[in-house]
This record gives sequence, C-alpha cells and structure tokens, in this order.
Amino acid sequence: MTRFRAARFVRTVAIAAIILWSLAPIALGVVTSVSTQADVRAIPLHWLPDHVTMDPYRGLLGGTADIRAGGTVSETGAFAQAMWNSASITLISTLAILCVAISAGYAFARLRFPGRNVLFWVVVATAIIPVFTLVIALFQLLAEAGLIDRKLGLVLVFVSTSTPLAMWLVHNHVKELPTEPEEAALLDGCTRWQAFWHVVLPQMRSSIAALSAILVLSVWGEFLIPLLLTSTSASKPVAVLIPEYVGKYTTNYPLLAAAGVLALLPPAVVALVLNRHIRGMLSGSS
Amino acid sequence: MVAPAVIVTAALVLYPLIAGFVTSLRSGDVALGEQSRFVGLGNYGDVVSSSTVHEAVAHTLVYVVLAVTLELALGLIVAIALHHVFPGRGIVLAILILPWALPSVVSGVLWRRMFDPDSGLLNSVLMQLHLVSHPQVWLASRTWALAFITLVHVWSVLPLVSLVLIAGLQNIPDDVYSASAVDGATPLRQFRHITLPLLRPSIAVALTIGTVWAIKIFDEIYVLNGTALNTRSIVMEVYTTTFVNADFPHGTALAFLLTGITAVLAAGYALAFGRSRT
Repeated sequence: MTRFRAARFVRTVAIAAIILWSLAPIALGVVTSVSTQADVRAIPLHWLPDHVTMDPYRGLLGGTADIRAGGTVSETGAFAQAMWNSASITLISTLAILCVAISAGYAFARLRFPGRNVLFWVVVATAIIPVFTLVIALFQLLAEAGLIDRKLGLVLVFVSTSTPLAMWLVHNHVKELPTEPEEAALLDGCTRWQAFWHVVLPQMRSSIAALSAILVLSVWGEFLIPLLLTSTSASKPVAVLIPEYVGKYTTNYPLLAAAGVLALLPPAVVALVLNRHIRGMLSGSS
Repeated sequence: MVAPAVIVTAALVLYPLIAGFVTSLRSGDVALGEQSRFVGLGNYGDVVSSSTVHEAVAHTLVYVVLAVTLELALGLIVAIALHHVFPGRGIVLAILILPWALPSVVSGVLWRRMFDPDSGLLNSVLMQLHLVSHPQVWLASRTWALAFITLVHVWSVLPLVSLVLIAGLQNIPDDVYSASAVDGATPLRQFRHITLPLLRPSIAVALTIGTVWAIKIFDEIYVLNGTALNTRSIVMEVYTTTFVNADFPHGTALAFLLTGITAVLAAGYALAFGRSRT
C-alpha cells in the first residue's frame, strides 16, 4: 500500500513537472511582454514586473527605435504586415496542399491506371528529401521566374514540399476505409467524383482536421525557406521578421517577447482546439 | 486527379534536386562572376577537407547525440507518467503538445531571455545564489552554447517523441504486467524485461524522428547565436556558404552530403530494428 502511494506521489510530481516544463517558457514570455525594460534588466531579478505596461505591444505595432545604435528597431506597421503575410500564406498553402494531396491520395488508393505504383512511390519518396537540399536550386529557379519575395513563390514551394507526405497519409487512410459504400454509390449511378465527395470525404473528417492542423502549424512556423525566399515586407512572414528584433548589441526583450506572444497565438489556438485529432494522427502515423 | 501532385513535385522537388546536383559538380563563384565549368566531385573533396565543415560536423554530432539521448530518456518518463488514465489527462496532453506547436523561432525567442548576459534569468538566479560573481556570456562559450541550443531544441521535439512512446505503451496489453506481477516481478524488472523490449518499435520511430530533426537543426541556432562559429551546425554551414558567401557549388555539395548521411542513418535504424524484431 505504501509502495502504491509512493508511486502515485512520484507520478503526480512528474505530471506537475511536465506542465511546468511545457508552460514556463511561454509564461515567462507573456510576463516579459508586459514588463518595462527596467524591470527586465533589474538585478536582483524581478519575477513579476513592478509596472505592468502595454508599451511593448504599442512599440511593436506602432514602431519604435532604440536610441542606442545596434539596438532593437521596430518599423511602424511591419509586424502587422508580417502577421497578415503569415496568415494569408498559411491559409492558401494549407488549402492548396489539402486539395492536391486529398485528390491524389484518393486516386492512388482507388483508381487503376498505368504507371500508378511507380508514380506513387516517386512522389512519396520525394518526402524524404530534406528541404535544405532543394532550397538552393529553388532559389535560383524562383529568381528566374521572378517569384523571389512574392507570396505566390512561397506558396508554390510549400505545396510542393508538403504534398508528398500529406498525400501518403491520405492514401493510407483511404486504403483503410471499406470499399463497399463507394461501390454501392457507383452502382446507384453516382460518378466517381460524386462518390468521392458524398461518400468518402465525410468519413475522413477527423483525419482531414488533423492534417489541416499539422499543415497550418508547419507552414506558420517554417523559417529557413522564407528566410531565403523573401526579403521585404511584401512577403516576409512573421517567423522571419521576429529574429530581426534581436539587436546587434542590445535587445529590447519586452518588445521581442510581445512579438513572440502574438506569433504563437494562432498556432497555440489551433493546437489546443484540434489537439485530440492532432494526437491521434501523430501517434497513429508511427 | 493525380496530375497536380505529380506536376508540383516534379517541377519543384525533382527538378531542383537534379539542378542542385548539377550545380554541386560545377565550379564558379557566382559572386565573382567566374566562368562555370565541370569539376566532377571536386567540390565534395573541398567540403570534406574544410576545417569549418569539420567543426560543423562535430557540433552537429553533439546536437544529435545529446538531443536524442535527452528526448528518449525524458520521453520515456513522460510516457510512463501520462499513459495511465487519470482525471485531467486530456488537458495535460493538450499542454504537452504546445511546445511542439510553436514556431521554432518563437521557442528560441522565449528561451533567449534565460541565457541573455544582461537581462538573463539564469545569470540573475546564479548571482543571487552566489554561484557566479559576475554575469556570464553563456552563448559565447562553446560548451554552454551547444548545451543550451540543444535544450531549446529538445523542448520543441519532446512532445512528438513522448506521443509516439505513449502510443507504444498503450499497445502493450495489461495482462503481461499482471501475469508477471503474480510471478513476483518488481516494477524495475518489469520495465527492463517487458516494457523496453515491447516498446522497441516505438523507440525505433522516436529515435528516427529525433535524429532526423536534430541533424537538420538550424532555426534555434539562428535565433540564439546567429551564424557564430562556435555553434554552427551543418545546415548553418550550408546556409553561410551559400547565402552569406554566395558559394552555391560548395553549399550544394555539403547539402547533398548531409542528405546522404541522413538517408544512411535512417536506413541503418530501419535495418537494425527491423531485423531484431523478427
């Protein structure tokens, strides 16, 4: 009995530690983002700020320049523009990847056509090519096409690099579904497209939700690709803008934290709302 | 229905792959406007014998070994703590995946304040405890910088590894444990002789995920320490060679080498774990 109690105690401590480990850096970011620079620099340390202020957010959105050279500079409107760029790039890429991956995944799982297996494995195999191998040639390719620093260029790259894995997941899911409902629909005079739309898609709701969530998170968080393929506020997403707030000599930590907090809100909401679906797909895909 | 998928992967994955490989076989510094010519595997030779590349390889080895060890050890603890049903488990699991969901740049920014020399939490706490007498510039020290960057990386990848291991634990039937308990097995012996062997497939997946993610580590390094030589990983070296020094041929050659190493490692894991399972 004592051993049982001891085990339970250890487990409770472990669970508390997991929560602390996961949330402490985020909580620290939120606290820093409403602190004054004086509070952040104070020695000995102020765990909670003496003055709660919204100035970091005002500075981030409204613009500010550090008086010292080599400090953090925030241009008016640049952050809002970057958030908008991230949002539009993420939404359009996710929708495009879903369309391409679901239709191809379904077709590869259900239709028979010459060269099906070869094509399937060629497309799936490209999923294992690391993006940093492609990005140099992609840079040259997009430069020739005039798509550097354009949102369309980024969307195209995200679609091509994310589609193979997404398609493979959809393909595996469709393979697991029973074929009878579709065959019945086809016999009843449905076209292949109608059977897909009315019979297959409704059965895939949960995995499409999970896939969308994972795509949103990965596109929103992608750093290396947009770092190389964007250069101005015309297309620069928030993940690329944030490191620019790290000053050369001094960093305005409250402002940097405010940027981090705003940039983590969309993915955090997606992860919390769809976390059941995401967990199912992440542990199921193993 | 498959045409769009085939076209985008052919145009934006396969074509750049081949074009990149061709670039890696040619010489010519774009920045200097040199004439490009075919040099075979010459760029690969240069890259393999470069001392900055050697250092980048050594750093990457440290990142991979340290990160994968920590992820597996901590992941097992998390999985064992969370795989039984308890009130509030859903909420704890939702919190667990948060660090994985955040952009790695944001994770870097959140952790950056901990290690900052002037307004860093670590220095304040250590000074208050009189463990150090003056603020330390942690990221200037190679050892500490590698350790802290690994820590930030582990923070983002641990959720994924834990989820894989939790799923693995749930596949082990409870009867095995109760039967062995009747035979007098202690929890430690159960862990050693039941949990670990039956968890082998999940550990293989976790190991592969951990290695593949750590070997291409870049974002955390960029945010915490930029292109500084003391923490450069291989991908950071690819980035500096290609986009800072505008040396496309050598950058591409190094990228292809790393891809090869990753593929060999992944195949090695698959073989090692696949064979022993049968």
